Amino acid sequence: MTQLTIAIAKGRLQAGALDLLAGAGLSFSAETLASRRLAVTDESGNYRLIFMKPADVPVYVEHGIADCGIVGRDILLESEADVLQPLSLSLGACRLVVATRNDAPINQLGMLRVATKYPRIAARHFGARGVAVDLIELSGSVELASVLGLADCIVDLVETGKTLQENGLVIVEVVADSAARLVVNRSSYQMKADAVGQFIRSLKDALRRQANVD
Amino acid sequence: MSETLSRIPTGMRYYTGSEARLRRAIGNTLISIFDGWSYEELTTPTVDYYSLFEQGMGRSQAHHAFRFSDTDGRMLAIRPDVTSLVARAAATLFSERKRPLRFCYVAPVFRQKPRSHAEWRRESTQIGCELIGSNSSAADMEILAIITEVLECLDLDRNCAITLNDVDVFNGIAEELDLHPEARNEMRELVDTRNAVDLERFLAGHSSAADPQAFAQLIQLTGKRKTLSDARRLITNPRSQSALDRLERLWCVIESLQLADRFEIDLGDVSQLDYYTGLTFKIYVSGAGARVGSGGRYDGLTASFGRAEQAVGFVLDLDALTEVLMGRPYGSDLMQGPVEESPLTAGNLSDLFLAARGKRALGQRVVINPVR
Repeated sequence: MTQLTIAIAKGRLQAGALDLLAGAGLSFSAETLASRRLAVTDESGNYRLIFMKPADVPVYVEHGIADCGIVGRDILLESEADVLQPLSLSLGACRLVVATRNDAPINQLGMLRVATKYPRIAARHFGARGVAVDLIELSGSVELASVLGLADCIVDLVETGKTLQENGLVIVEVVADSAARLVVNRSSYQMKADAVGQFIRSLKDALRRQANVD
Repeated sequence: MSETLSRIPTGMRYYTGSEARLRRAIGNTLISIFDGWSYEELTTPTVDYYSLFEQGMGRSQAHHAFRFSDTDGRMLAIRPDVTSLVARAAATLFSERKRPLRFCYVAPVFRQKPRSHAEWRRESTQIGCELIGSNSSAADMEILAIITEVLECLDLDRNCAITLNDVDVFNGIAEELDLHPEARNEMRELVDTRNAVDLERFLAGHSSAADPQAFAQLIQLTGKRKTLSDARRLITNPRSQSALDRLERLWCVIESLQLADRFEIDLGDVSQLDYYTGLTFKIYVSGAGARVGSGGRYDGLTASFGRAEQAVGFVLDLDALTEVLMGRPYGSDLMQGPVEESPLTAGNLSDLFLAARGKRALGQRVVINPVR
Protein backbone atom coordinates (compact mmCIF):
# COMPACT_ATOMS: atom_id res chain seq x y z
CA MET A 1 0.00 0.00 0.00
CA THR A 2 1.09 3.57 -0.66
CA GLN A 3 2.60 5.20 2.40
CA LEU A 4 0.95 8.43 3.54
CA THR A 5 2.90 11.17 5.29
CA ILE A 6 0.81 12.97 7.90
CA ALA A 7 1.86 16.28 9.44
CA ILE A 8 0.77 16.72 13.05
CA ALA A 9 0.63 20.10 14.79
CA LYS A 10 2.64 19.94 17.99
CA GLY A 11 1.27 21.36 21.22
CA ARG A 12 -2.42 21.89 22.00
CA LEU A 13 -3.76 19.34 19.48
CA GLN A 14 -1.02 16.75 19.54
CA ALA A 15 -2.28 14.34 22.24
CA GLY A 16 -5.85 14.39 20.93
CA ALA A 17 -4.66 13.85 17.36
CA LEU A 18 -2.59 10.81 18.40
CA ASP A 19 -5.57 9.36 20.30
CA LEU A 20 -7.73 9.79 17.26
CA LEU A 21 -5.13 8.17 14.99
CA ALA A 22 -4.89 5.25 17.41
CA GLY A 23 -8.67 4.96 17.21
CA ALA A 24 -8.34 4.88 13.42
CA GLY A 25 -6.05 1.87 13.66
CA LEU A 26 -2.58 3.42 13.50
CA SER A 27 -0.31 1.87 16.08
CA PHE A 28 2.90 3.22 17.50
CA SER A 29 5.00 1.65 20.21
CA ALA A 30 5.16 3.61 23.46
CA GLU A 31 8.89 3.86 22.92
CA THR A 32 8.47 5.53 19.49
CA LEU A 33 6.07 8.11 20.86
CA ALA A 34 8.22 8.87 23.87
CA SER A 35 11.23 9.54 21.66
CA ARG A 36 12.04 13.00 20.41
CA ARG A 37 12.16 11.91 16.79
CA LEU A 38 10.43 14.31 14.40
CA ALA A 39 9.33 11.54 12.02
CA VAL A 40 7.96 8.14 13.06
CA THR A 41 6.43 5.30 11.06
CA ASP A 42 3.48 3.27 12.34
CA GLU A 43 3.77 -0.48 12.79
CA SER A 44 1.96 -1.31 9.55
CA GLY A 45 4.37 0.89 7.62
CA ASN A 46 1.42 2.59 5.92
CA TYR A 47 1.70 5.88 7.75
CA ARG A 48 4.56 8.20 8.58
CA LEU A 49 3.88 10.95 11.10
CA ILE A 50 5.88 14.15 11.13
CA PHE A 51 5.60 16.65 13.97
CA MET A 52 5.93 20.39 13.53
CA LYS A 53 4.78 23.80 14.70
CA PRO A 54 1.09 24.29 13.83
CA ALA A 55 1.76 27.10 11.35
CA ASP A 56 4.07 24.81 9.36
CA VAL A 57 1.45 22.09 8.81
CA PRO A 58 -0.38 23.84 5.92
CA VAL A 59 3.00 24.69 4.37
CA TYR A 60 4.14 21.05 4.24
CA VAL A 61 0.74 19.88 3.01
CA GLU A 62 0.37 22.55 0.35
CA HIS A 63 3.79 21.66 -1.06
CA GLY A 64 2.89 17.96 -1.07
CA ILE A 65 5.78 16.98 1.23
CA ALA A 66 3.08 15.80 3.63
CA ASP A 67 0.01 14.21 2.02
CA CYS A 68 -2.27 15.01 4.95
CA GLY A 69 -2.17 17.09 8.10
CA ILE A 70 -4.02 17.66 11.34
CA VAL A 71 -4.17 21.33 12.32
CA GLY A 72 -6.49 23.92 13.83
CA ARG A 73 -8.91 25.88 11.65
CA ASP A 74 -7.44 29.11 13.07
CA ILE A 75 -4.11 28.27 11.42
CA LEU A 76 -5.81 27.46 8.11
CA LEU A 77 -7.75 30.72 8.09
CA GLU A 78 -4.57 32.65 8.77
CA SER A 79 -2.37 30.82 6.25
CA GLU A 80 -4.93 30.96 3.39
CA ALA A 81 -3.26 27.75 2.22
CA ASP A 82 -4.71 26.06 -0.85
CA VAL A 83 -5.46 22.63 0.65
CA LEU A 84 -8.48 20.33 0.84
CA GLN A 85 -10.38 20.04 4.14
CA PRO A 86 -12.40 16.86 3.91
CA LEU A 87 -12.97 16.34 7.65
CA SER A 88 -13.66 18.41 10.72
CA LEU A 89 -12.29 16.62 13.79
CA SER A 90 -13.88 16.98 17.19
CA LEU A 91 -10.62 18.11 18.70
CA GLY A 92 -9.40 21.32 20.30
CA ALA A 93 -12.65 23.26 19.94
CA CYS A 94 -12.10 26.97 20.61
CA ARG A 95 -13.00 30.40 19.31
CA LEU A 96 -11.21 33.28 17.63
CA VAL A 97 -12.44 36.41 19.39
CA VAL A 98 -12.02 40.15 19.62
CA ALA A 99 -11.34 41.06 23.26
CA THR A 100 -10.63 44.27 25.10
CA ARG A 101 -10.21 45.70 28.63
CA ASN A 102 -13.34 45.76 30.73
CA ASP A 103 -13.32 49.50 31.04
CA ALA A 104 -12.27 50.43 27.53
CA PRO A 105 -15.07 51.12 25.05
CA ILE A 106 -13.92 50.46 21.49
CA ASN A 107 -14.04 53.47 19.20
CA GLN A 108 -14.43 51.95 15.74
CA LEU A 109 -14.89 55.27 13.97
CA GLY A 110 -11.27 56.34 14.13
CA MET A 111 -8.41 53.95 13.84
CA LEU A 112 -8.30 50.81 15.89
CA ARG A 113 -5.00 49.42 17.11
CA VAL A 114 -5.30 45.61 17.04
CA ALA A 115 -2.69 43.28 18.50
CA THR A 116 -2.76 39.69 17.26
CA LYS A 117 -0.96 36.56 16.18
CA TYR A 118 -3.47 36.40 13.29
CA PRO A 119 -2.90 39.53 11.18
CA ARG A 120 -4.70 38.22 8.06
CA ILE A 121 -7.78 37.08 9.95
CA ALA A 122 -7.89 40.40 11.82
CA ALA A 123 -7.46 42.40 8.61
CA ARG A 124 -10.30 40.49 6.90
CA HIS A 125 -12.58 40.77 9.92
CA PHE A 126 -12.25 44.53 10.35
CA GLY A 127 -11.94 45.09 6.60
CA ALA A 128 -15.38 43.53 6.06
CA ARG A 129 -16.95 46.26 8.23
CA GLY A 130 -14.84 49.12 6.95
CA VAL A 131 -12.92 49.77 10.14
CA ALA A 132 -9.40 51.21 9.75
CA VAL A 133 -6.94 49.16 11.78
CA ASP A 134 -3.32 49.39 12.77
CA LEU A 135 -2.31 45.73 13.03
CA ILE A 136 0.38 44.96 15.57
CA GLU A 137 1.69 41.46 15.00
CA LEU A 138 2.87 39.70 18.15
CA SER A 139 4.10 36.17 18.70
CA GLY A 140 2.68 35.36 22.13
CA SER A 141 0.91 36.59 25.31
CA VAL A 142 -1.25 38.83 23.18
CA GLU A 143 -3.44 39.74 26.20
CA LEU A 144 -0.60 41.88 27.50
CA ALA A 145 -0.93 44.26 24.57
CA SER A 146 -4.43 45.19 25.60
CA VAL A 147 -3.71 45.23 29.33
CA LEU A 148 -0.72 47.52 28.95
CA GLY A 149 -2.26 49.74 26.30
CA LEU A 150 -0.18 48.75 23.28
CA ALA A 151 -3.45 48.06 21.48
CA ASP A 152 -7.14 48.96 21.81
CA CYS A 153 -8.13 45.34 21.42
CA ILE A 154 -6.78 41.92 20.55
CA VAL A 155 -7.80 39.14 18.17
CA ASP A 156 -6.84 35.85 19.73
CA LEU A 157 -7.73 32.20 20.20
CA VAL A 158 -9.76 31.43 23.33
CA GLU A 159 -10.37 27.96 24.68
CA THR A 160 -11.97 28.50 28.12
CA GLY A 161 -11.69 32.27 28.45
CA LYS A 162 -9.86 31.91 31.73
CA THR A 163 -6.70 33.76 30.66
CA LEU A 164 -8.78 36.65 29.39
CA GLN A 165 -10.78 36.80 32.59
CA GLU A 166 -7.71 36.72 34.82
CA ASN A 167 -6.26 39.63 32.90
CA GLY A 168 -9.41 41.70 33.05
CA LEU A 169 -10.35 41.31 29.39
CA VAL A 170 -13.80 40.63 27.97
CA ILE A 171 -14.90 39.13 24.68
CA VAL A 172 -16.45 41.74 22.41
CA GLU A 173 -17.32 39.40 19.54
CA VAL A 174 -16.57 36.00 18.08
CA VAL A 175 -14.73 36.09 14.74
CA ALA A 176 -14.83 32.35 14.00
CA ASP A 177 -15.15 28.97 15.63
CA SER A 178 -12.11 26.79 15.40
CA ALA A 179 -11.47 23.07 15.76
CA ALA A 180 -8.95 20.67 14.32
CA ARG A 181 -9.24 19.84 10.63
CA LEU A 182 -7.90 17.07 8.47
CA VAL A 183 -6.23 18.73 5.49
CA VAL A 184 -5.10 16.97 2.32
CA ASN A 185 -2.78 18.01 -0.50
CA ARG A 186 -4.66 18.46 -3.80
CA SER A 187 -2.31 16.26 -5.78
CA SER A 188 -2.14 13.47 -3.16
CA TYR A 189 -5.94 13.44 -3.09
CA GLN A 190 -5.86 12.32 -6.73
CA MET A 191 -2.56 10.48 -7.01
CA LYS A 192 -2.97 8.50 -3.77
CA ALA A 193 -6.77 8.40 -3.92
CA ASP A 194 -7.10 4.87 -2.49
CA ALA A 195 -4.83 5.43 0.49
CA VAL A 196 -6.29 8.87 1.27
CA GLY A 197 -9.85 7.57 0.93
CA GLN A 198 -9.09 4.68 3.26
CA PHE A 199 -7.52 7.06 5.80
CA ILE A 200 -10.52 9.40 5.73
CA ARG A 201 -12.94 6.48 6.19
CA SER A 202 -11.04 5.11 9.18
CA LEU A 203 -10.87 8.57 10.76
CA LYS A 204 -14.63 8.97 10.27
CA ASP A 205 -15.23 5.61 11.96
CA ALA A 206 -12.95 6.58 14.83
CA LEU A 207 -14.80 9.90 15.25
CA ARG A 208 -18.14 8.09 15.30
CA ARG A 209 -16.92 5.65 17.96
CA GLN A 210 -15.51 8.52 20.03
CA ALA A 211 -18.82 10.35 19.85
CA ASN A 212 -20.69 7.23 21.00
CA VAL A 213 -18.40 6.77 24.01
CA ASP A 214 -18.83 10.41 24.99
CA MET B 1 29.04 42.70 -6.57
CA SER B 2 26.58 44.86 -4.66
CA GLU B 3 23.48 43.12 -3.33
CA THR B 4 21.18 45.12 -5.59
CA LEU B 5 22.88 43.71 -8.68
CA SER B 6 23.43 40.13 -7.56
CA ARG B 7 20.00 39.58 -6.09
CA ILE B 8 17.34 37.83 -8.19
CA PRO B 9 13.75 39.06 -7.66
CA THR B 10 11.44 36.62 -5.88
CA GLY B 11 9.90 34.07 -8.19
CA MET B 12 12.40 34.48 -11.03
CA ARG B 13 15.18 32.05 -11.95
CA TYR B 14 17.81 30.90 -14.45
CA TYR B 15 17.76 27.56 -16.25
CA THR B 16 21.21 26.14 -17.00
CA GLY B 17 22.92 22.99 -18.29
CA SER B 18 20.99 19.75 -18.32
CA GLU B 19 17.87 21.38 -16.90
CA ALA B 20 17.79 23.95 -19.72
CA ARG B 21 18.31 21.18 -22.31
CA LEU B 22 15.55 19.07 -20.79
CA ARG B 23 13.16 22.02 -20.72
CA ARG B 24 13.86 22.80 -24.38
CA ALA B 25 13.41 19.13 -25.34
CA ILE B 26 10.05 18.89 -23.55
CA GLY B 27 8.90 22.05 -25.31
CA ASN B 28 9.96 20.68 -28.71
CA THR B 29 8.31 17.30 -28.05
CA LEU B 30 5.03 18.95 -27.15
CA ILE B 31 5.03 21.35 -30.08
CA SER B 32 5.67 18.48 -32.49
CA ILE B 33 2.76 16.54 -30.96
CA PHE B 34 0.52 19.60 -31.36
CA ASP B 35 1.72 19.92 -34.96
CA GLY B 36 0.78 16.27 -35.46
CA TRP B 37 -2.80 17.12 -34.44
CA SER B 38 -2.75 20.10 -36.87
CA TYR B 39 -2.41 22.88 -34.31
CA GLU B 40 -0.81 26.02 -35.68
CA GLU B 41 1.70 27.80 -33.47
CA LEU B 42 0.77 31.32 -32.46
CA THR B 43 3.22 33.79 -30.95
CA THR B 44 1.31 36.43 -29.03
CA PRO B 45 2.28 39.89 -27.78
CA THR B 46 4.15 39.88 -24.46
CA VAL B 47 2.65 43.20 -23.43
CA ASP B 48 -0.98 44.05 -24.08
CA TYR B 49 -3.80 46.16 -22.66
CA TYR B 50 -4.79 45.24 -19.13
CA SER B 51 -8.47 45.51 -20.04
CA LEU B 52 -8.05 42.56 -22.43
CA PHE B 53 -6.85 40.30 -19.63
CA GLU B 54 -9.46 41.66 -17.24
CA GLN B 55 -12.13 40.72 -19.76
CA GLY B 56 -10.52 37.37 -20.54
CA MET B 57 -9.51 36.08 -17.11
CA GLY B 58 -11.80 38.01 -14.80
CA ARG B 59 -10.62 40.76 -12.51
CA SER B 60 -9.66 38.52 -9.61
CA GLN B 61 -7.06 36.74 -11.76
CA ALA B 62 -5.98 39.62 -14.00
CA HIS B 63 -5.08 41.92 -11.14
CA HIS B 64 -2.14 39.64 -10.33
CA ALA B 65 -0.44 40.86 -13.51
CA PHE B 66 2.52 43.24 -13.59
CA ARG B 67 0.94 46.48 -14.75
CA PHE B 68 2.15 49.85 -15.96
CA SER B 69 0.78 52.63 -18.13
CA ASP B 70 1.41 53.31 -21.79
CA THR B 71 2.52 56.72 -23.09
CA ASP B 72 -1.15 57.60 -23.69
CA GLY B 73 -2.10 56.67 -20.13
CA ARG B 74 -3.83 53.38 -20.96
CA MET B 75 -3.04 50.52 -18.59
CA LEU B 76 -0.76 47.80 -19.97
CA ALA B 77 0.06 44.40 -18.50
CA ILE B 78 2.78 41.86 -19.08
CA ARG B 79 0.93 38.78 -20.31
CA PRO B 80 -0.47 36.89 -17.27
CA ASP B 81 -2.35 34.46 -19.52
CA VAL B 82 -2.22 33.35 -23.15
CA THR B 83 -5.79 32.15 -23.75
CA SER B 84 -7.22 35.70 -23.68
CA LEU B 85 -4.78 36.71 -26.42
CA VAL B 86 -5.61 33.67 -28.55
CA ALA B 87 -9.35 34.23 -28.13
CA ARG B 88 -9.01 37.85 -29.20
CA ALA B 89 -6.98 36.85 -32.28
CA ALA B 90 -9.66 34.30 -33.18
CA ALA B 91 -12.36 36.98 -33.01
CA THR B 92 -10.36 39.57 -34.96
CA LEU B 93 -7.37 38.46 -37.07
CA PHE B 94 -8.93 35.10 -37.86
CA SER B 95 -12.58 36.16 -38.01
CA GLU B 96 -12.84 35.17 -41.67
CA ARG B 97 -11.06 31.86 -41.38
CA LYS B 98 -12.94 28.59 -41.61
CA ARG B 99 -13.84 27.00 -38.26
CA PRO B 100 -12.68 25.22 -36.21
CA LEU B 101 -9.43 27.04 -35.47
CA ARG B 102 -6.59 25.09 -33.90
CA PHE B 103 -3.83 27.05 -32.18
CA CYS B 104 -0.95 26.10 -29.91
CA TYR B 105 1.65 28.17 -28.08
CA VAL B 106 4.66 28.16 -25.76
CA ALA B 107 4.97 31.42 -23.87
CA PRO B 108 6.12 32.72 -20.50
CA VAL B 109 3.41 34.33 -18.37
CA PHE B 110 4.02 36.66 -15.45
CA ARG B 111 2.24 37.30 -12.18
CA GLN B 112 3.11 39.69 -9.38
CA LYS B 113 1.71 37.22 -6.91
CA PRO B 114 2.05 33.46 -7.44
CA ARG B 115 -1.12 31.40 -7.74
CA SER B 116 -0.53 29.68 -4.40
CA HIS B 117 2.07 29.47 -1.62
CA ALA B 118 3.47 26.25 -3.05
CA GLU B 119 3.87 27.91 -6.45
CA TRP B 120 6.73 30.34 -5.87
CA ARG B 121 7.35 31.24 -9.53
CA ARG B 122 6.24 34.60 -10.83
CA GLU B 123 7.40 33.74 -14.34
CA SER B 124 6.26 30.40 -15.68
CA THR B 125 6.00 29.04 -19.17
CA GLN B 126 2.63 27.92 -20.43
CA ILE B 127 2.39 25.43 -23.23
CA GLY B 128 -1.05 24.69 -24.55
CA CYS B 129 -3.68 24.28 -27.26
CA GLU B 130 -6.97 26.00 -28.02
CA LEU B 131 -9.66 24.54 -30.28
CA ILE B 132 -12.09 27.29 -31.23
CA GLY B 133 -15.40 27.05 -33.07
CA SER B 134 -16.49 23.53 -32.28
CA ASN B 135 -18.96 22.38 -29.67
CA SER B 136 -18.91 18.67 -30.32
CA SER B 137 -17.86 16.07 -27.80
CA ALA B 138 -15.33 15.21 -30.52
CA ALA B 139 -13.63 18.54 -29.72
CA ASP B 140 -13.53 17.76 -25.99
CA MET B 141 -12.18 14.30 -26.73
CA GLU B 142 -9.60 15.68 -29.17
CA ILE B 143 -8.14 17.86 -26.41
CA LEU B 144 -8.06 14.93 -23.95
CA ALA B 145 -6.43 12.71 -26.57
CA ILE B 146 -3.67 15.26 -27.13
CA ILE B 147 -2.99 15.46 -23.38
CA THR B 148 -2.88 11.68 -23.19
CA GLU B 149 -0.34 11.55 -25.98
CA VAL B 150 1.77 14.21 -24.27
CA LEU B 151 1.86 12.23 -21.03
CA GLU B 152 2.72 9.04 -22.95
CA CYS B 153 5.57 10.74 -24.81
CA LEU B 154 6.98 12.08 -21.54
CA ASP B 155 6.68 8.62 -20.00
CA LEU B 156 4.33 9.98 -17.33
CA ASP B 157 1.20 8.10 -18.36
CA ARG B 158 1.52 5.43 -15.67
CA ASN B 159 1.90 8.02 -12.91
CA CYS B 160 -0.80 10.48 -13.81
CA ALA B 161 -4.40 11.35 -13.08
CA ILE B 162 -6.52 13.51 -15.35
CA THR B 163 -9.62 14.50 -13.37
CA LEU B 164 -12.79 15.33 -15.29
CA ASN B 165 -15.80 17.38 -14.30
CA ASP B 166 -18.48 19.51 -15.90
CA VAL B 167 -19.26 22.85 -14.24
CA ASP B 168 -22.97 22.40 -14.93
CA VAL B 169 -23.19 19.61 -12.35
CA PHE B 170 -22.54 22.29 -9.72
CA ASN B 171 -24.43 25.04 -11.57
CA GLY B 172 -27.56 22.90 -11.80
CA ILE B 173 -27.58 22.39 -8.06
CA ALA B 174 -26.79 26.03 -7.27
CA GLU B 175 -29.60 27.09 -9.61
CA GLU B 176 -32.04 24.84 -7.82
CA LEU B 177 -31.06 26.46 -4.52
CA ASP B 178 -31.52 29.91 -6.04
CA LEU B 179 -28.49 31.32 -4.19
CA HIS B 180 -27.40 34.92 -4.31
CA PRO B 181 -23.85 35.35 -5.65
CA GLU B 182 -22.14 35.53 -2.28
CA ALA B 183 -23.75 32.33 -1.00
CA ARG B 184 -23.04 30.62 -4.30
CA ASN B 185 -19.38 31.48 -3.90
CA GLU B 186 -19.36 30.22 -0.33
CA MET B 187 -20.84 26.94 -1.56
CA ARG B 188 -18.25 26.79 -4.35
CA GLU B 189 -15.44 27.16 -1.83
CA LEU B 190 -16.81 24.41 0.40
CA VAL B 191 -17.08 22.07 -2.58
CA ASP B 192 -13.64 23.04 -3.86
CA THR B 193 -11.99 22.21 -0.51
CA ARG B 194 -14.07 19.00 -0.17
CA ASN B 195 -15.43 20.30 3.11
CA ALA B 196 -18.39 17.92 3.27
CA VAL B 197 -19.26 18.64 6.91
CA ASP B 198 -19.63 22.39 6.46
CA LEU B 199 -21.25 21.90 3.07
CA GLU B 200 -24.01 19.72 4.54
CA ARG B 201 -24.58 22.35 7.22
CA PHE B 202 -24.65 25.09 4.59
CA LEU B 203 -27.10 23.16 2.40
CA ALA B 204 -29.37 22.27 5.30
CA GLY B 205 -29.85 25.99 5.85
CA HIS B 206 -30.84 26.57 2.24
CA SER B 207 -32.87 23.63 1.15
CA SER B 208 -34.47 20.41 2.16
CA ALA B 209 -34.34 19.04 -1.36
CA ALA B 210 -32.63 15.73 -1.88
CA ASP B 211 -30.27 16.78 -4.69
CA PRO B 212 -28.06 19.13 -2.68
CA GLN B 213 -27.77 16.75 0.25
CA ALA B 214 -26.71 13.98 -2.06
CA PHE B 215 -24.21 16.31 -3.66
CA ALA B 216 -22.39 16.80 -0.34
CA GLN B 217 -21.54 13.11 -0.35
CA LEU B 218 -20.46 13.05 -3.97
CA ILE B 219 -17.81 15.71 -3.77
CA GLN B 220 -15.62 13.55 -1.61
CA LEU B 221 -15.54 10.78 -4.17
CA THR B 222 -13.29 10.63 -7.12
CA GLY B 223 -13.66 7.55 -9.21
CA LYS B 224 -14.54 5.99 -12.51
CA ARG B 225 -17.85 5.11 -14.09
CA LYS B 226 -19.43 4.24 -10.75
CA THR B 227 -19.10 7.87 -9.58
CA LEU B 228 -21.10 8.89 -12.63
CA SER B 229 -23.82 6.33 -12.13
CA ASP B 230 -24.04 7.20 -8.42
CA ALA B 231 -24.34 10.85 -9.34
CA ARG B 232 -27.03 10.20 -11.93
CA ARG B 233 -29.08 8.32 -9.40
CA LEU B 234 -28.71 11.01 -6.72
CA ILE B 235 -28.90 14.25 -8.71
CA THR B 236 -32.06 14.77 -10.73
CA ASN B 237 -32.22 18.39 -11.86
CA PRO B 238 -32.13 18.69 -15.67
CA ARG B 239 -29.07 20.95 -15.94
CA SER B 240 -26.87 18.67 -13.82
CA GLN B 241 -28.31 15.65 -15.60
CA SER B 242 -27.32 16.84 -19.04
CA ALA B 243 -23.82 17.64 -17.73
CA LEU B 244 -23.59 14.09 -16.40
CA ASP B 245 -24.78 12.83 -19.81
CA ARG B 246 -21.94 14.70 -21.50
CA LEU B 247 -19.42 13.28 -19.03
CA GLU B 248 -20.76 9.80 -19.57
CA ARG B 249 -20.45 10.10 -23.35
CA LEU B 250 -16.81 11.13 -22.94
CA TRP B 251 -16.19 8.37 -20.43
CA CYS B 252 -17.49 5.74 -22.89
CA VAL B 253 -14.97 6.89 -25.49
CA ILE B 254 -12.19 6.94 -22.90
CA GLU B 255 -13.07 3.37 -21.89
CA SER B 256 -13.21 2.17 -25.47
CA LEU B 257 -9.71 3.59 -26.03
CA GLN B 258 -8.58 1.71 -22.91
CA LEU B 259 -7.45 4.92 -21.27
CA ALA B 260 -9.69 4.71 -18.22
CA ASP B 261 -6.76 4.10 -15.87
CA ARG B 262 -5.50 7.63 -16.54
CA PHE B 263 -8.79 9.44 -15.92
CA GLU B 264 -10.92 10.09 -12.84
CA ILE B 265 -14.33 11.68 -12.46
CA ASP B 266 -14.04 14.41 -9.82
CA LEU B 267 -17.33 16.24 -9.23
CA GLY B 268 -15.68 18.42 -6.58
CA ASP B 269 -13.43 20.25 -9.04
CA VAL B 270 -15.09 23.67 -9.20
CA SER B 271 -12.09 25.98 -8.98
CA GLN B 272 -12.87 28.25 -11.95
CA LEU B 273 -16.64 28.26 -12.34
CA ASP B 274 -16.95 31.71 -13.82
CA TYR B 275 -14.51 30.99 -16.62
CA TYR B 276 -15.48 27.51 -17.77
CA THR B 277 -18.85 26.61 -19.25
CA GLY B 278 -18.76 22.82 -19.60
CA LEU B 279 -16.05 20.20 -19.34
CA THR B 280 -13.17 21.01 -16.96
CA PHE B 281 -10.13 18.94 -16.16
CA LYS B 282 -6.92 19.01 -14.15
CA ILE B 283 -3.71 17.09 -14.77
CA TYR B 284 -1.73 15.63 -11.89
CA VAL B 285 1.47 13.59 -12.06
CA SER B 286 3.27 11.94 -9.18
CA GLY B 287 6.29 13.89 -8.05
CA ALA B 288 4.53 17.25 -8.32
CA GLY B 289 2.78 18.64 -5.23
CA ALA B 290 0.36 20.64 -7.34
CA ARG B 291 -1.36 20.13 -10.69
CA VAL B 292 0.85 20.41 -13.77
CA GLY B 293 -1.93 21.42 -16.12
CA SER B 294 -5.61 22.21 -16.50
CA GLY B 295 -8.21 23.16 -19.04
CA GLY B 296 -11.78 22.96 -20.16
CA ARG B 297 -14.55 24.43 -22.27
CA TYR B 298 -14.93 28.21 -22.22
CA ASP B 299 -17.79 29.08 -24.54
CA GLY B 300 -18.29 32.49 -22.95
CA LEU B 301 -14.84 33.95 -23.50
CA THR B 302 -14.74 34.84 -27.18
CA ALA B 303 -18.09 36.66 -26.91
CA SER B 304 -16.33 39.35 -24.90
CA PHE B 305 -14.17 39.97 -27.98
CA GLY B 306 -17.16 40.41 -30.24
CA ARG B 307 -17.72 36.96 -31.64
CA ALA B 308 -19.39 34.30 -29.51
CA GLU B 309 -18.20 30.82 -30.31
CA GLN B 310 -17.50 27.56 -28.60
CA ALA B 311 -13.97 26.83 -27.47
CA VAL B 312 -12.02 24.25 -25.50
CA GLY B 313 -8.37 24.17 -24.55
CA PHE B 314 -5.71 23.23 -22.07
CA VAL B 315 -2.46 24.50 -20.70
CA LEU B 316 0.52 22.66 -19.20
CA ASP B 317 3.14 24.19 -16.96
CA LEU B 318 6.49 23.63 -18.69
CA ASP B 319 8.47 24.48 -15.53
CA ALA B 320 6.55 21.99 -13.40
CA LEU B 321 7.01 19.28 -16.06
CA THR B 322 10.75 19.98 -16.15
CA GLU B 323 10.97 19.67 -12.38
CA VAL B 324 9.12 16.34 -12.42
CA LEU B 325 11.18 14.90 -15.27
CA MET B 326 14.60 15.84 -13.88
CA GLY B 327 16.18 12.51 -12.97
CA ARG B 328 13.43 10.40 -14.56
CA PRO B 329 14.24 7.98 -17.40
CA TYR B 330 12.82 10.33 -20.02
CA GLY B 331 15.13 13.08 -18.86
CA SER B 332 18.27 11.07 -18.22
CA ASP B 333 19.59 11.01 -21.81
CA LEU B 334 19.39 14.76 -21.87
CA MET B 335 21.03 15.01 -18.44
CA GLN B 336 24.33 13.79 -19.90
CA GLY B 337 24.52 16.50 -22.50
CA PRO B 338 26.26 16.06 -25.85
CA VAL B 339 29.66 14.36 -26.03
CA GLU B 340 32.47 16.90 -25.69
CA GLU B 341 34.48 17.44 -28.85
CA SER B 342 38.19 17.97 -28.40
CA PRO B 343 38.84 21.71 -28.53
CA LEU B 344 39.94 23.13 -31.87
CA THR B 345 43.28 24.89 -31.76
CA ALA B 346 45.49 26.36 -34.49
CA GLY B 347 48.32 28.81 -34.81
CA ASN B 348 46.35 31.56 -36.52
CA LEU B 349 42.71 32.60 -36.51
CA SER B 350 42.21 31.97 -40.26
CA ASP B 351 43.22 28.31 -39.96
CA LEU B 352 41.24 27.93 -36.78
CA PHE B 353 37.98 29.21 -38.23
CA LEU B 354 38.53 27.48 -41.58
CA ALA B 355 38.70 24.18 -39.69
CA ALA B 356 35.74 25.16 -37.51
CA ARG B 357 33.52 26.08 -40.46
CA GLY B 358 34.49 22.84 -42.19
CA LYS B 359 33.38 20.79 -39.18
CA ARG B 360 30.19 22.78 -38.77
CA ALA B 361 29.35 22.23 -42.45
CA LEU B 362 29.42 18.50 -41.66
CA GLY B 363 27.11 19.11 -38.73
CA GLN B 364 29.78 18.40 -36.13
CA ARG B 365 29.98 20.09 -32.77
CA VAL B 366 33.00 22.37 -32.24
CA VAL B 367 34.50 24.22 -29.32
CA ILE B 368 36.97 27.00 -30.10
CA ASN B 369 40.06 27.15 -27.92
CA PRO B 370 42.57 29.63 -29.38
CA VAL B 371 46.13 29.29 -28.05
CA ARG B 372 47.46 32.35 -26.32
